[in-house]
Amino acid sequence: MGKEERDPHTGYLTTGHEWNGIIELNTPVPRVIYFFLSAAALFAIGYWILMPTWPLGTTYTKGLLGDDVRKDVTHAVKQAALDRAVWSARIEKESFADIQKDTALMEAVRETGHTLFGDNCAACHGRTAQGGKGFPNLTTQSWLWGGTPAAIAETIRVGINSTHPDSRTSQMPAFGRDGMLPRADIDKVVAFVRSLTHPGAKDLPADKVAAGKALFAANCAACHGEDAKGNPEMGAPNLTDPFWIYGGDAKTIEATVWNGRQGHMPTWEHRLSALDRKILALYLVDLRKPSP
Amino acid sequence: MFGFHYRLERKAIGLVLAIIGVASIGGIVEIAPLFTIHQTVEDAPDMRVYTPLELAGRNIYIREGCYACHSQMIRTLRDEVERYGPYSLAVESKYDHPMLWGSKRTGPDIARLGGKYSDDWHVAHLNNPRDVVPESVMPAYRFLSRAELRTDDLSNHLKAQRRVGVPYSDDMIANAAADAYGQAAPDSPQAEGVAKRYGKATNIRAFDGKPKDLTEMDALVAYLQILGRLTDAAYKPMASAEK
Amino acid sequence: MVAQLTKNERQIALVILLVMAAVGLAMAAGGRNDPFGVHGALVMVVAILGMFGVISGYYAPEPPEDRLDSYYDAPSKFGIIAAMIWAVIGMFVGDWVAWLLAYPDWTFDAAWASFGRLRPVHTSGVIFGFGGNALIATSFYVMQRTTRARMPDQLSPWFVLLGYNLFCVIAATGYLMGVTQSKEYAEPEWYADIWLVIVWVTYFVLYMRTLARRKEPHIYVSNWYYLAFILVVAMLHIVNNLAVPIAWGSAKSYSLFAGVQDAMTEWWYGHNAVAFFLTSGFLGMLYYYMPKRAQRPIYSYRMSIISFWGITFFYMWAGSHHLHYTALPQWVQSLGMTFSVMLLIPSWVSAGNALMTLNGAWHRVRDDAVLRFMMVAAVFYGLSTFEGSFMAIRPVNSLSHYTDWTVGHVHAGALGWVAMITFGAIYASVPWLWKRQAMYSAKLVEAHFWLALAGTVIYVFAMWNSGIIQGLMWRTYNESGTLAYSFTDSLIAMHPYYVARAIGGLLFLLGAVVGCYNIWMTIRTAPSAAPETAADRPVLGGAVLQPGE
Ligand code: HEC
Ligand code: HEC
Ligand code: HEC
Ligand code: HEM
Ligand code: HEM
Ligand SMILES: [Ca+2]
Ligand SMILES: [Ca+2]
Ligand SMILES: [Cu+2]
Repeated sequence: MGKEERDPHTGYLTTGHEWNGIIELNTPVPRVIYFFLSAAALFAIGYWILMPTWPLGTTYTKGLLGDDVRKDVTHAVKQAALDRAVWSARIEKESFADIQKDTALMEAVRETGHTLFGDNCAACHGRTAQGGKGFPNLTTQSWLWGGTPAAIAETIRVGINSTHPDSRTSQMPAFGRDGMLPRADIDKVVAFVRSLTHPGAKDLPADKVAAGKALFAANCAACHGEDAKGNPEMGAPNLTDPFWIYGGDAKTIEATVWNGRQGHMPTWEHRLSALDRKILALYLVDLRKPSP
Repeated sequence: MFGFHYRLERKAIGLVLAIIGVASIGGIVEIAPLFTIHQTVEDAPDMRVYTPLELAGRNIYIREGCYACHSQMIRTLRDEVERYGPYSLAVESKYDHPMLWGSKRTGPDIARLGGKYSDDWHVAHLNNPRDVVPESVMPAYRFLSRAELRTDDLSNHLKAQRRVGVPYSDDMIANAAADAYGQAAPDSPQAEGVAKRYGKATNIRAFDGKPKDLTEMDALVAYLQILGRLTDAAYKPMASAEK
Repeated sequence: MVAQLTKNERQIALVILLVMAAVGLAMAAGGRNDPFGVHGALVMVVAILGMFGVISGYYAPEPPEDRLDSYYDAPSKFGIIAAMIWAVIGMFVGDWVAWLLAYPDWTFDAAWASFGRLRPVHTSGVIFGFGGNALIATSFYVMQRTTRARMPDQLSPWFVLLGYNLFCVIAATGYLMGVTQSKEYAEPEWYADIWLVIVWVTYFVLYMRTLARRKEPHIYVSNWYYLAFILVVAMLHIVNNLAVPIAWGSAKSYSLFAGVQDAMTEWWYGHNAVAFFLTSGFLGMLYYYMPKRAQRPIYSYRMSIISFWGITFFYMWAGSHHLHYTALPQWVQSLGMTFSVMLLIPSWVSAGNALMTLNGAWHRVRDDAVLRFMMVAAVFYGLSTFEGSFMAIRPVNSLSHYTDWTVGHVHAGALGWVAMITFGAIYASVPWLWKRQAMYSAKLVEAHFWLALAGTVIYVFAMWNSGIIQGLMWRTYNESGTLAYSFTDSLIAMHPYYVARAIGGLLFLLGAVVGCYNIWMTIRTAPSAAPETAADRPVLGGAVLQPGE
């Protein structure tokens, strides 16, 4: 205790202290440690000279390179947009029809549209754009507001029942809640609506359907049309096809007619550029192609 | 050096003082100048404060630990700007006590979420994320629609906020509970006061679809719909660069 | 426990508990409509139970004078058991949240069981509950033995340990009720923060009083690290938790800082919580238990000095590496990055010093799973600090930040380093403390070792994979020059890794359960220790043991 001794295994001297049986060797610090310490410090000093680093009261050293991440990223985003201009400029300029004919451009539309749609629209319309309860399927031929690329692009720009001043507005009235139709009549008109997609279903007696048909003509046709095939002027859906926003079972249809509906599709004018919106419209038109 | 240490390690107080001294420098050099260097927080004259309802929603966001999965900080990187929008500025969280920048993105960044989706969507999503996003791993928060929002202590919240530096007026503090109610009940008499105190652009809607009840869902959705919209400052650097 | 206290200490304990009960009552009354009141009631009940305990032992005979001939180890025993209980709770919740990320509906539609509320129960449970108890317990053990002095009294160690565990319980139950400040690793609300300050100051004073009684003129390295841990954590905790409560009777407070200043303060705290809680404290542990177990001298005293001061100085600058490319000014990011890189050197010097200490004892590493725990810990310490310094480089961080890579790094450090060194130290201490020849079953220690190693490796590899895939998917561009994947695409790609991680975590948890059983059985077997030598006892009187120079 208290005496410096030589450790037989390493050959180094101890410090001469012992704590509860623990002793320490006084091994000199290996050179390589000083080397790496200096190397790390040199790297740091070099970095400090080149880059903004040290605070000086009310300002800071800017570094010889004058680097600024904010400028860098702004430049990178701009440069990337310029690099894309080979195809994006054409999409901006050319007509929908011309773009659709160009397979190379459409490839860019598909690639870009996938992520744009996935990050912005899929939350509502689903990753495959097939919709979900309350959110329309965008892969069908049946469109609330018209299925031309221009109409779709316009829907995306202004939204539906959105906060945009030019928003498309659509309103399915609350016939039951607002007392426009008694429960019994709603029952009948629901039966009629169901019969459009389930002709001759057992639970839809012909007289009820007929009564419903009359009620439909009086109350609903103004929006959904005499033939119930919808009206893209008012965003009223086609009720004769198998695609439903809210659902085609008796209970849901009844809820729709009783409480009304006012779907909300946000406006994307301030969130997505005109180019992005055009790409999305083209992307959607392209998506629905395979399924007639 | 080793000789000096050999002596230092015999003095407990000396060791303590040395540790405190050595360990203080870094923090002082990095934190203090953030208060003195003016450019640290950008100027944004249009910056507005959270309404009481939004503040209550923010507290629910904190309470539920949403920050464990969502960042609110778009970094200065090309891919982030292209995916989420303009990079976040310091001024945008200048009234955030504490900040909620986050450190993990199990879910996407939501710094620019306000206005991206509809209130209905948020309600559906919070009730069960998998109803609208089948791939989601986010928890369901059904209880928010059932829970009545506590408003009796909102004035205290605003007062404490003012004490730490958020410019709430006496009027705002006095009417905090009524304003919280009014913001989620557009047809109520209280709604007017909200617009008067917090500006015409304030979202005044029945966020949870039920104008009569003031629920925690109202508050949380009101908060989510204001994310990134307290000021337009973030859009300026990008826009001016385009010219 | 009460019987070990002197009459005087019993009286003080009663007064403290009475004050606590009164404070608890006031909190319960003031916070009737608030979780604050629940915590008040909890404090009150705990204090009253404590009073019953003290009163029932009040008339026990005074502890014999010869107690001063031995170290006071009862608190260390308690702390080790508490650490193991928290380990199982914390890791069980960790594995639960891991499964939740793979199967989000494995919950009961209850608010308290959602991911966001459970996650801090996990992080606080393992860091503060498991890690903190292990640090306090081993620091008491190590500080007495390396100073050859018994703690100055019997009451303050209990105040520290029990008070600290009360803090942990308030923290964990608070999260379940939704009480949180949201500051990572500093989530407990203002009143819990204040309580921790009181506990911590007592801890510091106890440490200093013991050091003042030391019979060894030189303070051993372990104590430098434990001291740095206590001091710097106090500093960080107080500054980062400055907040204004909205009212007496409410759990809610608002942080004094906002936005960018708050972010920097939080990560100055958060990073150094890692540094001084999860690194310094555990290095203190390593510096005692590893040479003891390996029966080898510390390889280099001089390297100890370099690494200690390097770590203490450099770490404090590195916090801004959590904020690269954010709204934090770039100059601070430069400082954070460069200091993180320099930090690697002292970190590796400590890892190297630890591993070189094993020179001449590799046969023991082979045969003794306890020492192997410590050896693997030192390796993972080296690995995770290398990884950390690498991730602190801005372009690397641009990929890793926000992803599971960070989580992988955390658990390389947490499982591989923190938990492994703790298990090693606990397995070494238990027979010493309870005066047994050895652990009940060496085979079970071996089993625990392999479960822990397999669990760590699976966890860390799964997270490296998921993190890097995630980071790359977020920034991959297609031929057209636009983003190739949506966020959801990356989410789907994570699923298999999340399942793998949860399985790895389950193995690790199983190992801890095996450890609990083994410790329990060791305590239950009859004492049969090696005979005590003079070195196992404190030195009395004014003797100084070794030359000062
Ligand atoms: C907040 C949810 C939500 C988001 C996000 C959303 N939509 Fe919609 N979208 C809707 C709803 C709801 C409707 C139907 C409105 C109605 O019911 O009248 C709709 C309708 C549409 C329509 C009209 C369909 C038709 O038949 O005419 C198009 C086109 C469309 N969305 C495209 C998109 C695109 C492209 C995006 C992304 C940029 C997007 N949507 C994002 C909710 C959303
Ligand atoms: C004022 C115009 C208007 C009238 C009148 C009207 N509808 Fe509608 N209807 C709409 C609009 C617009 C929608 C789409 C609402 C939405 O998507 O949010 C709609 C949607 C529906 C749907 C839901 C379709 C789906 O895909 O889920 C049904 C069913 C329906 N209407 C039936 C009726 C019936 C039956 C009546 C008469 C009793 C009626 N509507 C009268 C405008 C009208
Ligand atoms: C377990 C992690 C987790 C927690 C906790 C969590 N989320 Fe999410 N969140 C996700 C994931 C994953 C997504 C992406 C899938 C989806 O949209 O559901 C998401 C998506 C979202 C979105 C849509 C963002 C967008 O731009 O598409 C919002 C809004 C949201 N979460 C809000 C919240 C709120 C509010 C809370 C707390 C009450 C919360 N989240 C808690 C994981 C989580
Ligand atoms: C059974 C073993 C464990 C499992 C299954 C586990 C699981 C998890 C999970 C799922 C998360 C959340 C990650 C996320 O949000 O994506 C997490 C976070 C965390 N865990 Fe663990 N864990 C375990 C052990 C530990 C231990 C022993 C410690 C510390 C000593 C620890 C410290 C942490 C920390 C600090 C975080 C937060 C990480 C961050 O915010 O980046 N864990 N853990
Ligand atoms: C040289 C030493 C180390 C350095 C330079 C370092 C660096 C880093 C970096 C760069 C991050 C990622 C920050 C981000 O992108 O958000 C990080 C996260 C983390 N590290 Fe380390 N690390 C070191 C050692 C350790 C050790 C030994 C542990 C022990 C467990 C640890 C625990 C953590 C934790 C818990 C986080 C997650 C913080 C959070 O986001 O919640 N680190 N570290
Ligand atoms: Ca984190
Ligand atoms: Ca706290
Ligand atoms: Cu760090």
